[in-house]
Amino acid sequence: MIPKPKVLVLKADGTNCDEELYFAFKLSGGDPKIVHVNELRNKQESLKRYNILAIPGGFAYGDDIVSGKILAVELTSFFSEELKKFTERKDTLIIGICNGFQVLVRTGLLPFGTMSEMQATLTNNDSGHFECRWINLKINPNSKCVFLNGLNTSDGGRLSEREAMTPPRWIVSFQVAHGEGKFFASNETIKTMEQSNLIVFRYVDDKGKPTQKYPDNPNGSLHAIAGITDPTGRILGLMPHPERFVRIEQHPNWRRMKIPKPQGLPIFGNMIKYIKNE
Amino acid sequence: MIQKIRVISTNPNDDLLSKSLLFEIRKNLKINSIKKIRTAKAYRLEGVTEKEALLLSQKLFSEKINQIFSINKSIFNKNYHSFEIAYKPGVMNPEVASIIASAKNLGINLISCDSSREYYFYGNATIKYLKDLIRKLNLLNTTVEHIVEKEPKTLIVRGSPGETSIISIRRVGDEKLMFLSKDKLFLNLSEMKVIQKYFNKLKRDPTDCELETIAQTWSEHSGHKTFKAKLFVDGKEKKPLIERLKNEALKHGKNIVSAFVDNSGVMDFYEGYAISAKGETHNSPSAIEPYGGAMTGTGGVFRDIVGTGQGGKTIISTDIFCLANPNLSPLLLPKGCLPPKYILKRVIKGVADYGNRMGIPTSNGSIHFHDDFRAKPTVLVGAYGIMPKKYAKRGKPKIGDVIVSIGGRVGRDGIHGATFSSGEMTDQTIIVNSQAVQIGNAIEEKRMFDAILEARDKDLIRAIQDCGGGGLSSAIGEIGEATGVSVELKNVLLKYQGLSPWEIWLSESQERMILAISKNNIKEFERICKKYNVEISILGTFDGSKKLKVYYNKKLVANLDMNFLHHGLPQRVLKTVCSNEKVPPFSGWNLEKQKVLMPQTQQQWISTLKKVLSHDNVCSKEPIVRLYDHTVQGTNILQPYGGEKMNGRNDAIVIRRLLVKPYGMVVSHGLNPILNRIDPYFGSIWAATEAISNYVAVGGDYKNASLINNYIWPFPDEESLWSLDKSVDAVCDFMSTLKMPVISGKDSLSSTYRKDNLVIKIPPVLCISVFGKIPDVKKTISSDFKKEDSVICLVGKPDFENMAGSTYLEILFNANNLTMKQFSNIPHIDLKLLPKILTVLNKTIKTGHILSCHDISEGGLITAIFEMCVGGNMGAQIHLPGGRMDSWKVERPDYFLFNETSGCFIVEVRNEKIAKKLFKNIPYLILGKTKKEKLITVKNKNKNLFGAGLDELKKACQEPMKKIFN
Repeated sequence: MIPKPKVLVLKADGTNCDEELYFAFKLSGGDPKIVHVNELRNKQESLKRYNILAIPGGFAYGDDIVSGKILAVELTSFFSEELKKFTERKDTLIIGICNGFQVLVRTGLLPFGTMSEMQATLTNNDSGHFECRWINLKINPNSKCVFLNGLNTSDGGRLSEREAMTPPRWIVSFQVAHGEGKFFASNETIKTMEQSNLIVFRYVDDKGKPTQKYPDNPNGSLHAIAGITDPTGRILGLMPHPERFVRIEQHPNWRRMKIPKPQGLPIFGNMIKYIKNE
Repeated sequence: MIQKIRVISTNPNDDLLSKSLLFEIRKNLKINSIKKIRTAKAYRLEGVTEKEALLLSQKLFSEKINQIFSINKSIFNKNYHSFEIAYKPGVMNPEVASIIASAKNLGINLISCDSSREYYFYGNATIKYLKDLIRKLNLLNTTVEHIVEKEPKTLIVRGSPGETSIISIRRVGDEKLMFLSKDKLFLNLSEMKVIQKYFNKLKRDPTDCELETIAQTWSEHSGHKTFKAKLFVDGKEKKPLIERLKNEALKHGKNIVSAFVDNSGVMDFYEGYAISAKGETHNSPSAIEPYGGAMTGTGGVFRDIVGTGQGGKTIISTDIFCLANPNLSPLLLPKGCLPPKYILKRVIKGVADYGNRMGIPTSNGSIHFHDDFRAKPTVLVGAYGIMPKKYAKRGKPKIGDVIVSIGGRVGRDGIHGATFSSGEMTDQTIIVNSQAVQIGNAIEEKRMFDAILEARDKDLIRAIQDCGGGGLSSAIGEIGEATGVSVELKNVLLKYQGLSPWEIWLSESQERMILAISKNNIKEFERICKKYNVEISILGTFDGSKKLKVYYNKKLVANLDMNFLHHGLPQRVLKTVCSNEKVPPFSGWNLEKQKVLMPQTQQQWISTLKKVLSHDNVCSKEPIVRLYDHTVQGTNILQPYGGEKMNGRNDAIVIRRLLVKPYGMVVSHGLNPILNRIDPYFGSIWAATEAISNYVAVGGDYKNASLINNYIWPFPDEESLWSLDKSVDAVCDFMSTLKMPVISGKDSLSSTYRKDNLVIKIPPVLCISVFGKIPDVKKTISSDFKKEDSVICLVGKPDFENMAGSTYLEILFNANNLTMKQFSNIPHIDLKLLPKILTVLNKTIKTGHILSCHDISEGGLITAIFEMCVGGNMGAQIHLPGGRMDSWKVERPDYFLFNETSGCFIVEVRNEKIAKKLFKNIPYLILGKTKKEKLITVKNKNKNLFGAGLDELKKACQEPMKKIFN
């Protein structure tokens, strides 16, 4: 039993969602610390001391070349062993949001945990531009991702008032804010991911059906993929920002709809709960 | 040897850039000879073997899942014409530093590298034709980019620095003095003579460094000569503009922490915090390179917040643009000016790329269109910040403190930016002054801010100054004014060798700041900077000499008295008289016979309404807001858009910066250049009223708010100075009426274009921004209609008769070939009534009686109602007041619906009884009810004027910007 799971919020030049992610963990009962990648490199800090590795959104190193690439190369160049040991521990979890998801995919940790071997990519939005908006996501009820407990019962989000009163199960509403969020992989890879239920979140339309239509699917992601997990269910990567919906008033329509609880919060709460119970 | 790597997407369908170019060529340019386009990203690496290049291609530059690469050979089969577009040598390519660092992580040391883009055209076309096409597609901005014609032998920019030269000015005549000043120093004769006298006294001639330092300190950009000038208006002496503003502002100082003395204005917040704000223009660079101009403008205003007190945190970014109609005919574009649609897209991309990368939400802004912005656009960026109050007062360096430069390295970029932006624009501007423009590097600034804020919290910073216009000369000159400084330029970290001392001293290379740090704290400060990968250099000391002493390699290159530099500038004496051609008032327009122009049939009404809603100044700007990360930091409580379909426009934004506390910060703004041109006094009152109305409409409390004023004016000749004087008077009267202060501001008085006989002056822009504090964010409201069958009220008293400058009249006149110029009766705001209305509204919003509220502005009352319907995804039924209802007489329903008096509000309440109770002491009118059916109907004396479907109107309103931005 771990009383206050320790969270390493990883920061590099250009990381910019670190403070709100820190806040989300704090609110959920974790013990977060923002750590610069240089502090890991010079051994002032070590993953060993933490239970959760959280890679926030932003533009690590300016997203130069492609998003998250430079940080992913840095992680695989210097921390392959450390990361491997970290993932092998039972009391650890990894989450990558937006830019963090791009980094996790480019290290190879997602979808199959093959360090330094990329199996998928996140590429330019089909629209060709950055997109900041609220979207609806459907959660795969068969996913064994440990982050999801309790999300199925929440309601609210970007649903009409009528729908909000009888919330469709497994739908949540988050914001996206990215220019390179189109999930892309070979057909076989996606098939394997489908079969092993690694796809966690899908962009859906008003009726709750996965969609390729802009802007409900804001980037043209194959199979409407918005977030995925690894075979252990202990690594989660997603483009939308649950950390921007941890208080009710962060939703644009808190004045016109009843939002019983902020929908991003359970993800962080579940992570903390999971570690505590390990 | 240079290795060249090319990377392309495996699937042509993923080559989004080529797809959009082909679309543009087919659809807009109607060219069918080009069959296919492909693009490639190219990298040049210097100092590595081909084997190393292969490793980098695999690990860094390409991803085999969806890309292929080639090394030192072409990547497509023949039968194409290709062009490679790269930054010019010496222009900073932000990607380079990342590539070098990442290659190092992979064990490969690059001497230098570059990245560029290649375009491959397939089809029947000559090289010349394609080059012309590239120009039409605006693929190349020759200010910063070039077509690579020849493979470079090296990527290293070399050169040897020039000597410091002595410029003879002591014994030259007036003509020679002015020759020295023209196109370089931008000083007038009497100013040049003061400099001459100073050096005569010193018995020596100035160095180039000295002359440039004085020129930039005394430039309009830095010296604000017009605002400080002694003024004679219509023969009578009036106090200098800046004095009037300050005197009035300081009367209302209960919340002021610091005003007019620091890089931004600071006011009190809650629990030991202070909040600050600044607005800054970047018009001249944006006119010739809008992307770089908007980026560096944004980066600069962010640094103003961080450069306040001992360091603030930037928490909001705003953008306000005034441009020519994006569909302006190319024939109307003066020589040397860029097409407005290109400027629009590129300034927005600049603001987005900078703000998004910095993680600062760009959440408030607006765009105004008028064709007289075609030569010189207005690009006004704002930033807001927060800091502990103990760090909010301007710092003072102590004698013995060290001068530290932090952030980016120095190159030749942006030399003469401050003097350049103070000059008028001519067709030569784009050629002569191109070095005044650069591309920003947001990540450099981001990590610098991270380091500064950590150092601040450890009490390591004594004083801080942004390094912007004028570069080191301005930053060090200002921060060291009281103590004097001695500076060694050899310690400045350079991007490349070969800069002369004066270039290092004047360079405006971005993402730098200057700090005063105690000797004892330097080690700790260095440690923090190292953690964040931020470079610093120690440039000298605050030495107590009261002189500005600059050395290069221990040789003195400048030695000026601080007192002369900062106080030697002679006060200008300016005269202005009211021009006799003042437009006559608009009386008589209201004649019965003119009624024929009013829409008569339902069809005409709907078509007129659609024209208003799709007017550039009224139409939905949502597609632009979606390009900005407007919710990063998670602080948003009221977003720019909300409502049932997330497309209802809100009047202001509210944030909760301290995430666990209830406190809110509200930000809004207002401007109307068109009204300002017709009537600078009431136009300015309108702008200020619009700003405060936006603020109060969401639940802001004007009694705990401050104002920021930005004046973007044509060059202050007699005529423009007259309107500037009126505008400043208006702002003072506004402050006095509402008892609220302006606490920061900026002027940019050079928005005139001159070429031969063509003179284009922009409609003068006064932008008022409002920011302030509220104790509880939950007591704020949005503009979307909340409930069906609730009551819609008009609160306030529109000046119905006065329609000049309105969107409606412009449309009506255009349709009837009339010109609007001859009318001057713009809406007058009743300043006696305004505080009452704002107070009542604030109170009723706080008590939760108001369901939604929206202020009336461009497009008028019916537009406000329409926007609330969009937010609520419902309809509305409106009854015009019939005949003489007390003071409300509506003789012209068109005026009633389209009048643009600011300070008036559309308010939704549960029922009439509540309205009667809430508004009994102020003018109000029950207009109708919200309806479930998505239809806006307007009845006049129980006769249907029209009923228009919401979706149809919405389409008209959303189409114009969607066309440009999707």
